Amino acid sequence: MSGFRDERLAALKAKIATLEAGGRGDSESLPFGDPRLDDCFLGGGLPLGCWHEFGGEGLEAETAACPAGFAALMAAPLARRGEAVWILRRDDLFAPGLVGLGFPAERLIQVCARDEAEALAVAEDALSTPGVAAVFAEVEAVSLTAGRRLQLACEKRGATGFIIRRRPYGGKAKAGAGSAAASRWRVAPAASEPEPGEFGLGPPRWAVTLERCRGGRTGAWLFEAGDAFTYEASDGTHPLRLVAPLGDLQLAPAQPLRRAG
Amino acid sequence: MIEQARGTRRLAAVDRAGRKLGLFVGQKATDAAAIAPELVTAEAEPEADAQALSALTDWCVRFSPAVAADDPDGLFLDISGVAHLWGGEARLLADFQARLTANGLAFRAAIADTPGAAWALAHYGQDGAIAEPGRQISLLAPLPPAALRLAPETAAQIDRLGLKALAQLFVIPRAPLARRFGIETLTRIDQALGRSKEALSFRRPPNPWFARLAFAEPISTPEDMARVAFDVAAKLCRRLETEGQGARRFELCFHRLDGHVAPLTVGLSLAARDPARIAKLFAPKLETIDPGFGIEVVTLEATEVEPVSGRQARLDSLLEATSAEGLAPLIDRLVNRLGEDRVWKARAVESHVPEQSAVPGPPMAAPLAGWDPERPRPLRLFRRPEPLEFVSAPVPDDPPLQFRWRGQLHRVRRAEGPERIGEEWWRGAIDEVRTDHIRDYYRVEDEAGGRFWLFRAGLYAEGVAPKWWLHGLFA
Repeated sequence: MSGFRDERLAALKAKIATLEAGGRGDSESLPFGDPRLDDCFLGGGLPLGCWHEFGGEGLEAETAACPAGFAALMAAPLARRGEAVWILRRDDLFAPGLVGLGFPAERLIQVCARDEAEALAVAEDALSTPGVAAVFAEVEAVSLTAGRRLQLACEKRGATGFIIRRRPYGGKAKAGAGSAAASRWRVAPAASEPEPGEFGLGPPRWAVTLERCRGGRTGAWLFEAGDAFTYEASDGTHPLRLVAPLGDLQLAPAQPLRRAG
Repeated sequence: MIEQARGTRRLAAVDRAGRKLGLFVGQKATDAAAIAPELVTAEAEPEADAQALSALTDWCVRFSPAVAADDPDGLFLDISGVAHLWGGEARLLADFQARLTANGLAFRAAIADTPGAAWALAHYGQDGAIAEPGRQISLLAPLPPAALRLAPETAAQIDRLGLKALAQLFVIPRAPLARRFGIETLTRIDQALGRSKEALSFRRPPNPWFARLAFAEPISTPEDMARVAFDVAAKLCRRLETEGQGARRFELCFHRLDGHVAPLTVGLSLAARDPARIAKLFAPKLETIDPGFGIEVVTLEATEVEPVSGRQARLDSLLEATSAEGLAPLIDRLVNRLGEDRVWKARAVESHVPEQSAVPGPPMAAPLAGWDPERPRPLRLFRRPEPLEFVSAPVPDDPPLQFRWRGQLHRVRRAEGPERIGEEWWRGAIDEVRTDHIRDYYRVEDEAGGRFWLFRAGLYAEGVAPKWWLHGLFA
């Protein structure tokens, strides 16, 4: 009996997923290659054909260096597959730095928009262009309407959007509206650990919280950019390496615990 | 030659024999016939003259690419940088004169630094005069004031006041001169002597890639303008297609009823001839056009025409287009909407000065790897390094222990460096090379994990507080 129920449940879930993907039956996903992370997502990896939101706090809310680096590494396998477009408001993105992290920046098309609305419009345009696999946009906030429009643009061709929240220098934080993002990540820098016996800095590390994940579970982890500033890059593995889960007590547990009475 | 002017038939041009008989330009035809009953006259044909002049302009391109017609009967040739092909200005002029004479044309020619001086010498000076660079003033001095290309009334007034030669005009102070004879006189003097610039309208070769649509009724609604933009593009693109060509730049001109012309241009990253795509690029710009009382003619001109391999529409059109095919229209849309300098692809430059190692390149260029991935470079590079305060770096050539940036104190936990980057002394003068321009870069990590790229300007010196700057942020 229960087997029958599970089957029906699975069929319904698949149907809902199809509806959410805008009629395209197979919603693709990009696995991280680590079950601790992949299990959080419905499709067993970062869902493609939708948009994800990245942000930071404190200084990072203005500079957005860590969220940008983290998002770039998350999208690096996509950028090798198709074209990548990065939409900026301030043109301070330095391509050699991206290359050092392991992102193919020599193919990246950079666009400097004049204002917020233009940045979002360009992002929408780029997302619905054939051949474009990943679109990065540095914007202040995405309203519900803008988010919905981005989602529709993503579904047209299956491109994936990476929205990096960044407010202008000295600007005030905008009230974070509920967003239509498939997932929302908060990225903070974390102290690096060089290999024993080595001096200087280790590969960059980030303390990352998955704050929201549609159809999946949230969590917090410590990530490391495995290939940063070394030559032996792109051996097929995902450039982000999960170092350790972070015990963030503020987050609700993924499944409500059922106490045995 | 006779022309009809204000109801009277007057002489428009007189040949040498006629001048000997006392005939002059502007004389009534009847008076002329009375002086010389055997006078042979012909109707003046200004249009034919203009055509002949433009044909001559085209012919003169064999001497210089920059030829400007000076209506109704003159030509300016800009021979800067071409005279040496003939072995000097004198031989160029001799060749020019020989060829024109062989064609049976009567003419006068002169060479000078400025169009104004050349005009004066050709019309009033000695035929074939060549003014040496910077020396035209002595040649101009004895010429009459009319040589300045002045309006006849002004020239006549100057003449009446007894100023028979330009030398007398040149010595008059500028302010009274302008007051008495008008600012135009001053401008012409300046143009002749090279004190102010003069714009010549050089001949433009006729562009074969041109399409035109005229309307029976003037149009003015935005929908109509969008539709005619497509129609004229389709007309031009059909011709481009039959000849296997595509263009990278299109200029669309709306000719209004009142004679105004409003041009719009779009550029494409790859040569194309798809009318729908071209019309789409024009669409957002159409709203800037003020149709006024209506638009009667629309023209489209294609420049930067190059061969495009014809691509057959594929049978399997359901398959995704290749990335270059999809990307080019996107780049075109963005470039035309935002401007050319706002869409780019970073291009590696062989320079170890960080801010010069990546420059914006064309967005459709083939990717070129060039940066050393082993060398740590920040993700965000500030255009201007930001000054750091309260830097404590007790040991020379060691990274700082703490620093203050944007009102926040950062304690350094780990550091790497220095990486010494000197200026590129081979690019400038050797005396400008100084040790202050040397930067020692450190990659540091503060206690919160934030990673910064800072540098100390100049070499360490005893007793001098070094200056520290923040140049970028690592992810």
